[in-house]
Amino acid sequence: MDDKENILSEYIDALNREQKPNRGYVEEPELARLCETVRRVRSLKEQAMPEEGYAQRLAKEVAVKLAHNRDKGLDEKGDIGLKKRNRTEQRRFARPGWLVPAAAILAACVVIFAVLVSRPSLFHTDVALAMQQAVGQLSSYHGVLEMRTHNEAGQEWLVRRVEIWSQGDKYAVKQHDGTLTVNNGQQKWQVRPQEQEVALLPVLHDPVRQGFDLRDEAERALSYPHQVVGSELVAGRQASKMQISPPGGLEYYLWIDKETNLPLQLQTAMQNALQTTYTFASFEANAQIDPVIFDYRVPPGFKVVDADPGQFVNTVEEAVEISGFDPLLPQKAPFRILAFDRRIVFDYGDTTIVETVARGAFQPAANAALGTAAGGPLEVLRDKLRWRQYGIEIEISGPERVTLASQIAPDLALPEVNQQLVDQAEVKVEVDMDIVRADQQQVDRGSSPWQLDPLQVSLTFVNLKVSPQGIVGEPKIGPESFTLAINNGIEAIVEVSQGPISRVYLQRLMRQDETGIWSVVGYDPR
Amino acid sequence: MITAEQLRKAARGETQSIELICQQLWEPLYGFIYYRVQNREEAEDITQETFVRTLIYCRRHNTQPENITAFMKMVALNIIRDSWRQKQRQGKLIDLEDIKPLETVAADEQKAIAERMQVENALNRLKPEHKAVLDLRIMKGYSVAETAQMLGKSEAAVRVLQYRALQVLAQMLDEND
Repeated sequence: MDDKENILSEYIDALNREQKPNRGYVEEPELARLCETVRRVRSLKEQAMPEEGYAQRLAKEVAVKLAHNRDKGLDEKGDIGLKKRNRTEQRRFARPGWLVPAAAILAACVVIFAVLVSRPSLFHTDVALAMQQAVGQLSSYHGVLEMRTHNEAGQEWLVRRVEIWSQGDKYAVKQHDGTLTVNNGQQKWQVRPQEQEVALLPVLHDPVRQGFDLRDEAERALSYPHQVVGSELVAGRQASKMQISPPGGLEYYLWIDKETNLPLQLQTAMQNALQTTYTFASFEANAQIDPVIFDYRVPPGFKVVDADPGQFVNTVEEAVEISGFDPLLPQKAPFRILAFDRRIVFDYGDTTIVETVARGAFQPAANAALGTAAGGPLEVLRDKLRWRQYGIEIEISGPERVTLASQIAPDLALPEVNQQLVDQAEVKVEVDMDIVRADQQQVDRGSSPWQLDPLQVSLTFVNLKVSPQGIVGEPKIGPESFTLAINNGIEAIVEVSQGPISRVYLQRLMRQDETGIWSVVGYDPR
Repeated sequence: MITAEQLRKAARGETQSIELICQQLWEPLYGFIYYRVQNREEAEDITQETFVRTLIYCRRHNTQPENITAFMKMVALNIIRDSWRQKQRQGKLIDLEDIKPLETVAADEQKAIAERMQVENALNRLKPEHKAVLDLRIMKGYSVAETAQMLGKSEAAVRVLQYRALQVLAQMLDEND
C-alpha cells in the first residue's frame, strides 16, 4: 500500500485520539491538502474539551514556566517552542467515571433544547419569514449604508459611508472619496475621480456584493437558529433586534424594520478583535433608478486601467477576499484600502503600507542599513522600511513608517548608529580622504556603483590582499564567502569565511546615506 | 473581568492571580485554538504557551493590554504560525498557502460558518461509500479495523477508500473556494 495512505490514516487516528499529529505529512503538498480537508470535516464535530481540573493544572504549569523563565532571564522571544507537558502528571487529574454519563445526559438535554429552540416553525418565524418575503418583493433600492468597525477595546477603527443603488443583479456603490464601483452583471469597473482613471475589475469574485446583501441576510437568518431579543430605534426607525446563532459559531445581530420588514442593520460577531456594524442610514425600497448609472462609460479625460489594477475596498474583510491572505494590521486605521491579488495597500495619505504574500528568500538591498523586526532582518532605506512577518512581506514608506511599523512588529529595532564598530578592528587601515572624495564623485557621476555595496567593497579589498598585483579573471575568494554581519547605515562589518581575513570593517566616510560609498577602515586577520 | 492589577500581579508570578486569570480566560482561548488545530493535546499545549508568553510580555514591557482576550488570541495565532514556520526552518516543505492559512486562521466568523456549510454540502454530494468511510473514521472516530468490519472490507481497502474520499472532497471544496 502507498505510504501516503498510511500517513493519512495515522493522521486521522492521531486527531481521533485528540493527540498532536506527526507533522511529517506536510512534506508532501497533496497530503497536506488532504490533512487540511480532514481538519475541515472535523470542524463539524463538537470540540473535545480538556479533562477536569484543567484550569488549575494550567495555572500551576504557567506559574512554573514563568518562574523558570525569570530564573533563566529569558524573554518572550527566546522561548517560542511548544514544550510537551508532563503527560504522567496529567493522568493524576483523570475525570471520575461517574462524571461521564452525567455530562453526556446534560449534553443531550442541551442539544435537544437547542434543536427545539432553533426550529423556525416553533419560535420567531414571523419576523424572519416576513423579512424574507419583503426582501423577495424588493425589485430595487437606493440607500446610504454606514459601516463602522470597532475593535474589542471599543474604539472605532474604520468608518465608511457609501451610497448604494441596487437593481436585480446590478449594483453601484459610491464611496466617501467619490470612487464609484459598478457591476452591471456583465462588467465590473471602478471610476476613480482622484486618479482620473477607470479600472476594469474581475466580475468574480465580488466581495463588495457580499458586504451586507439583503437577500443573503434574510436567507441566513431563516436557516440558522434565531430569536427576537428586543426592539430598538435604528436610524430613526423602530426595528426588531434578532439574535442569530449559527451552529458552532458566534452570535450576531440583525435589526429588521418593523414597518417594511426589511433588514436595517447588521452587526457581525467580533472576529480577530474587530466587529463591523452595517446600518442603512437611509433606504428607499423599489426606488426608480436611472439605468444610466449601470452603463459602462469612461468620463472624458479618464484613462482605462486593466492589468490587475486592484480595487478600493471599504473593509479589511473585502481586502482579504480579493487578496487571498490576512494582512497584519497596525492600530491606526488607514484612509483607504486597495486590494490586489496577493497584495494589499493601506493608504495613510503621506505614508503607505504595502503587504504582499512573501515569495523566495528575503534579500535586503546591498546599500540598505539593517535593523531587526519580527525576529528577522529589517531593511532600512531612506524613508522606507521592509521586512517579513508570518509569511507576509511588509513595506512601509513615508514619515509615519516607524510608528506604523512598530504597531505591526512591536520588537522592531532600527540600526544602532553609535556602535563605533570600526574601533573593534584588530588592524586599522589608513584612508586617504582625497582618494575617497574622488571615488565618491566618480560614483555620483554614475561610475563604479559597486562602491555603494559593502560586500563588493570587501570582496575587492580581500582579493587585493590575496593578489596584490590586481584581480585577473574571477576573484580567488568568491562572493559566496562574504556575509554582511552588521550594517547600521554608517558602519558595517562583513564576515569572510575563507582567506587571510576573517572580518572587514567599513565606514561611509563622505556621506551617511544610500548614496555614500563604503571604505575599508580595518580588518581582523584570520 | 480581569483587572490591570490582577494582570500585573500574575505577570510578577503571584500564583493566586495566575490561577484567577487562567480560570477566567482559558475556555474561549482554548476553543479558538482547538478550531484551528483540531486536537486536544496541541490545543492544550498552545493554550499554556499563550498564557506564558502573554504574562512574560506584560512583565517585560510593564504593560497590561486593554483587551486581554483579544491580545491572547493574537498571541495564540502567532504561536500556531510559528510552529509551522519552525518546521519550515527544519527543512520540511510547508507552504503556508498549501495549508490554507485563511482557513486555519478563520478570522471571519461568517466565513467559518459558510465553510462548515460548504463542507456539509460537499459531504452530501459524495458517493455513499466515500461518505460512509469519512463518517465512520472522522465524524464517529472509529479505528480502521472497526470501520473495516462495519463496511465489510479489509483494513487496506479502508485506507485506500478514505484516501480517495478525501481527494474527491478536497477537489469539491477547492472548486467551491
